[in-house]
Amino acid sequence: MTLSLARPAGYTLVRAGRASFLVHRRATAVALALTLLLAAACLTYLCAAQSYVAPSEALKVVLGQPSPDELTVGTFRLPRMTVGLLVGAAFGVAGALIQTVSRNPLASPDIIGVTQGASALTVGALTFGVTSYAYLPYLSVAGGLLAAALVYVFAWRGGLHATRFVLIGIGFAVALRSVTNLFMTKGDYLVAQQAKVWMTGSLADRGWDEAVPVTWALLLLTPFVCWAARAQRTVSMDDDTATALGIRLGRVRLGLALLGVVLASIATGAAGPVDFVALLAPQLARRMTRTAQIPLLSSALTGAVIVVVADLLGRKLFEPTQLPVGVLTAAVGAPYLIWLIIRGRTGGKA
Amino acid sequence: MTETDIETGTGTGRRPARLSARDLTLAYEDRTVVDGLDVDIPDGAVTVIVGPNACGKSTLLRALGRLLKPARGSVLLDGTELARIPTRAIARSLGLLPQSPVAPEAITVADLVSRGRQPHQRWWQQWSDADEHAVTEAMTRTDTAALAERSVDELSGGQRQRVWIAMALAQETDLLLLDEPTTYLDISHQVEVLDLCRRLNHERGRTVVAVLHDLNQAARYADHLIAMKSGRIVAQGAPSDIVTADLVRDVFGLESVVVPDPVTGSPLVVAGRPWGAGD
Repeated sequence: MTLSLARPAGYTLVRAGRASFLVHRRATAVALALTLLLAAACLTYLCAAQSYVAPSEALKVVLGQPSPDELTVGTFRLPRMTVGLLVGAAFGVAGALIQTVSRNPLASPDIIGVTQGASALTVGALTFGVTSYAYLPYLSVAGGLLAAALVYVFAWRGGLHATRFVLIGIGFAVALRSVTNLFMTKGDYLVAQQAKVWMTGSLADRGWDEAVPVTWALLLLTPFVCWAARAQRTVSMDDDTATALGIRLGRVRLGLALLGVVLASIATGAAGPVDFVALLAPQLARRMTRTAQIPLLSSALTGAVIVVVADLLGRKLFEPTQLPVGVLTAAVGAPYLIWLIIRGRTGGKA
Repeated sequence: MTETDIETGTGTGRRPARLSARDLTLAYEDRTVVDGLDVDIPDGAVTVIVGPNACGKSTLLRALGRLLKPARGSVLLDGTELARIPTRAIARSLGLLPQSPVAPEAITVADLVSRGRQPHQRWWQQWSDADEHAVTEAMTRTDTAALAERSVDELSGGQRQRVWIAMALAQETDLLLLDEPTTYLDISHQVEVLDLCRRLNHERGRTVVAVLHDLNQAARYADHLIAMKSGRIVAQGAPSDIVTADLVRDVFGLESVVVPDPVTGSPLVVAGRPWGAGD
């Protein structure tokens, strides 16, 4: 019994030869439950997004078997749902990473200007003649990185203070939104209208052309996310203690933040700034797993569930009017943000 | 005391010390704190660095533990400059407890102590038998095993400090640097922590380097005492050899009488001067 005392409580040891892994039991259970919930949400989405399709037919389409509902489910709903799911997961992980690095639950990419930077550059390009959608993902990643770099430079005063970082980020977010608006008023009316819908965060008309590149981008980033899940543990320590343990905290932080910014930007490029998902998902996930760190897998799953369910509700609630998914997530996220600010723990740890 | 002094010696005429500094200059921005200092940390002994506030003692310790990059000169670990050794490799030979470490929120004692195993772990080796053994032993030695499941936030100052020391112990390094490990502790917890350092040295042969505020505690627990003033080493050696009223006046600017400690026989500094003496 004395031996097992040493192992951190709540973890199960899994061994294979010389390899050994500590698995957090509650986090695993939560991730499993979230996976089931996500599967249920996806199936509901495929069956009920507009006209009703029987679950058996929907499943047939997913499995690639012939079905009369091939067009409805396979061509329209499935790619849109896939984009929603991936965007939600990417925002969830991005939020978790940036909140972890800044040790602040407020510091998510949609609050501190990252998604606004991605939007500004994308909308700018759209309204000023870039017609090929193929460039948009790159533009939004560039915009997100640029905005993050600007916030970083302005917030740096011989050190990075969490509250100052968040406040400057919020300032940049507002400024970049104005820039985006400026682009829209200057640009062609029709394109501006299109950009406006994109700006609220929308999954409307997303097909396989959008779904495939997002899938690839996120698949490529998966190994980095796996690294992040382990590296994240060390960021919650203070600099001196981490250095004493042989961790290069500066590099780890930079790596985690970069990954978060890139993920948020890719997601923004695919669906526009779906507000508050990156803010909300990690904190919800952490409350469920009760882990010391924000759990990445559960954040991804929570983000995915939020976006898929929000898009479904947006399509169903006020039929035939369809609300963009960003309106729904904002309706839930904004009160949470206000609550966070009222609680006044902006300088606290994530 | 004397027994260990003979056993360990204090570095002269033996193989070079594992940890040493050569021509070490340390500065914060423009302000030079330590200028051209040479020091050898005797192996297998308890070294205590003392001196008045802002004399550079903590700065020196931070440089010995690679938390601060030298402006000039170098810190050598086993003859190699610290800057040339991967930080993870350093962490397997040299442990360090900073002055006010911050625990991740809501972390349990066992979890925090097991973080000390970080330099020995890989992503695919998250918990070996060696990890289990080291963490168990660290908690047993520091008497924190009973607290294993408790949250670090809810512990008393003394308990928390023992947990941090346990983390540094779990790292299983031959060298252990402690930056004012007794600050914020009441007297009984101070003694508890210092006794622990002593036992580590005696029973495990670990080299311990600590910065302490209290000169009498330093004199009682050190095999090798380093007295610093304005970034220089004023005196070093066994406390019984170097702690005198002259040294205390020189280093701290304080008149005192030095008598044998009634408990250990080590020098005991009593502030002030006898009535009627002097003026």
